[in-house]
Amino acid sequence: MKNTIRVDRAIKNITQAKLAELVQVSRQTINAIELGKYIPSTVLALKIAQVFEKKVDDIFQLEDKDLA
Amino acid sequence: MNTNYLFPNQFKKLGWVLLFLSIILGLYWIIYFPEPSFLDVTIPFGSDNGFLNSTRDNFFNELIGIFLIMSLLWVAFSKEKQEDEFINKLRLDSLVWATYFNYFILLLSMFLFYGLNFLDVMVYNLFTLLLFFIIRFNWKLHKSKKA
Repeated sequence: MKNTIRVDRAIKNITQAKLAELVQVSRQTINAIELGKYIPSTVLALKIAQVFEKKVDDIFQLEDKDLA
Repeated sequence: MNTNYLFPNQFKKLGWVLLFLSIILGLYWIIYFPEPSFLDVTIPFGSDNGFLNSTRDNFFNELIGIFLIMSLLWVAFSKEKQEDEFINKLRLDSLVWATYFNYFILLLSMFLFYGLNFLDVMVYNLFTLLLFFIIRFNWKLHKSKKA
């Protein structure tokens, strides 16, 4: 699964730490998600989408390898 | 995520202090084998000649064992300052890894140590699972903080 969090953060001009605070997780978690090392839970994905005022699937998309 | 099987965050620091003390006491015991007389006790069961017969024992080494286990548990299973689902996943991954690694070492030891030597291995093995977990978990946590 890939995501556009890094881009969305740049648009909104907020840091990893700030986003982490807004969705009540640690900064490492946001970093791990951005790097594709961690797939967030549905709850966390929804919270992140809420911060960026977008739909979840505008931020998170399936990749080919997820469907293989 | 609700993780109610973890100790509060403050126990981590307490655990490190107690662990440090226990290791020093443990090394002291291994080298000098002290048996301070105020820790001499009569225990009503568990004797070599029949479980229900009483036995004399010096409680120093048992005390070290208890301190070690308690401190390792606290260090291993205290909440992080900010607990979240990613840290939960790291913890679970590390626990699985540590369990495999611990038993791998134990299997290896079965071929390398025999008789009373193997008994020593078993004694160390009481603590190594938690120790391997602590090392692996904190290493992973450290790595994810730096990135």
